[in-house]
Amino acid sequence: MNAALPMMKRPAAILSSALVGCLLLASCSSIPMPSFLRNPASEAVVYALGPREGFTSPLNGSLKPACPALVFENANFQLTSAHQQALNSLAQEMGKNKKARLLVAGYTAPNLPADHARSLSERRSLAVRQRLIELGLEAAGVQTVGYGNDFSPSGPSSDVVVIYRQN
Amino acid sequence: MNARALLLILTFVVSHGTRAEAGVMERLRGLFSLGGGKSKTEETKKSMPRIRVGPFSGGTGSSAQQTLHKELLDSREFFVAGADEKADFLVEGTSSGGRVTGKLKDAKGKDLFQRSYAAPGLDENLKALTDDIIYTITGRPGLATSRIVFVSDVSGKRQIYICDAEGGEVHQVTHDKHAAVAPSLSPDSSMIAFTSYRTGFPIIRLLDLNVGWERGVTDTPGSSFGSAFSPDGTHLAAVMSFIGNPEIFVSDLNTNTAACVSDSVGAPSSPSWHPDGRQLVFSSDDGDGPKLYVVEVPQKEGESSRLFRWRTGYHFCTDPEWSPDGRHIAFTTRTSGEWTVAIKPYPNGGVRVVQAGGAEHPSWSPNGHFITYVLHGELFVHDLRSGNRRSILRGYGHISEPRWMR
Repeated sequence: MNAALPMMKRPAAILSSALVGCLLLASCSSIPMPSFLRNPASEAVVYALGPREGFTSPLNGSLKPACPALVFENANFQLTSAHQQALNSLAQEMGKNKKARLLVAGYTAPNLPADHARSLSERRSLAVRQRLIELGLEAAGVQTVGYGNDFSPSGPSSDVVVIYRQN
Repeated sequence: MNARALLLILTFVVSHGTRAEAGVMERLRGLFSLGGGKSKTEETKKSMPRIRVGPFSGGTGSSAQQTLHKELLDSREFFVAGADEKADFLVEGTSSGGRVTGKLKDAKGKDLFQRSYAAPGLDENLKALTDDIIYTITGRPGLATSRIVFVSDVSGKRQIYICDAEGGEVHQVTHDKHAAVAPSLSPDSSMIAFTSYRTGFPIIRLLDLNVGWERGVTDTPGSSFGSAFSPDGTHLAAVMSFIGNPEIFVSDLNTNTAACVSDSVGAPSSPSWHPDGRQLVFSSDDGDGPKLYVVEVPQKEGESSRLFRWRTGYHFCTDPEWSPDGRHIAFTTRTSGEWTVAIKPYPNGGVRVVQAGGAEHPSWSPNGHFITYVLHGELFVHDLRSGNRRSILRGYGHISEPRWMR
């Protein structure tokens, strides 16, 4: 009889342990993750592109750049502090004109493999668009395109993102 | 955004039809003979099937017999036996007015097939017969009727062209306003998927080479490019960026639906199908140079799939393409600062550098014995058995992005 007592008490012990465990886990979810463990890319909200109707391609007409071209020194898509400064200035200027629309067009150097160049240029454009939205521009008013090395913009460097103002 | 969990129904744009160049529908002519035939050893010859070309009756029979003998010899798939030599297979038939009827028998005299070919020219009929003989005996497709698509700026704008496996019979197949790039041939060679800039933005279009009509596949915001037909021709893998990130999508060409199969934070490109149609290899740059990844393609909605990096030992890898037997992947990498074409057994094995010094964008021949690539703007075919390479098209503008028919 005495030997059976612990066995009868065990389900209650397991239940209470599970309850404590659940409470602990629930409380853990509110503890912020240390910054060095966070993956900023996975946390960022990515804004899908809206309809492209009404946007003009630089291939079909002469478009005016909204700011100097953003030059990418290396074959990557990360924005530098110089890019951030240029985009801050543009966002401030654009803040006065809420209806203005922008086309962010990416280009790459001619020596990259063609399909990789298209993807890299589009990824650069999307990084610029993402930053402009974070700075307050409306997502629906900013479109992107990646021309890779299929076309070159006017200017000294082809490894650029050009932000074209739309009419 | 977890894109892999996203199943998106796309609106596919059926664009106005456009006539393709009539010349594309013509069967290709020309002989396929690559360097390196003399380097074959006697041992190789002994291991090859032995075939004898018997008599062909009819008005053009004599010419058919001689041309077929040469086609079979050039294919390098057989030892072509003389009239008094022993052979494993015998081909004979009739030919009148360029039409050909061929009959293939084994050594015991059993009929393996008998087929008639009625295309306008004797040469193209014999090429078709040669490929049927090769496929029947070896189980691999022949190259006599195969084609290569590529991009050239010879007209002043980048447009898509098609040629035979020897660089002959070149035809321009697109006449887009701005440019047409990144072509991919369907498995039956009847359609080309490509990236068109006719709207000023990169969209994917399909061109039916037999009927001559075009239609849009994607006209989504952002960019669409890098299309690749699935082995059964019913699906198209491509990069699209309308969700706010470039991702690999697989589109069902029958139902006009698309599903995202990658989960990238970077710049994915150049998807290529495994011959079983269940996996894709692609390149993706997450910020430290493009690497190769393999993803399983879900066969039904909601099915989980694996996505993993496939290590090659190189830091910069693009343009992967699976071999026709699925046992190797060819890709572009960089060695000593120059583009290099390399192949690596899948899933494991050592990398073999096929061609350094600027070679890029490899594509396998249908039989897996050759690779075509671009070297300094010229189109090359490289024999993987002998190591010999040959420029098959030069002086035709700057050539890029070749794809061999699968």
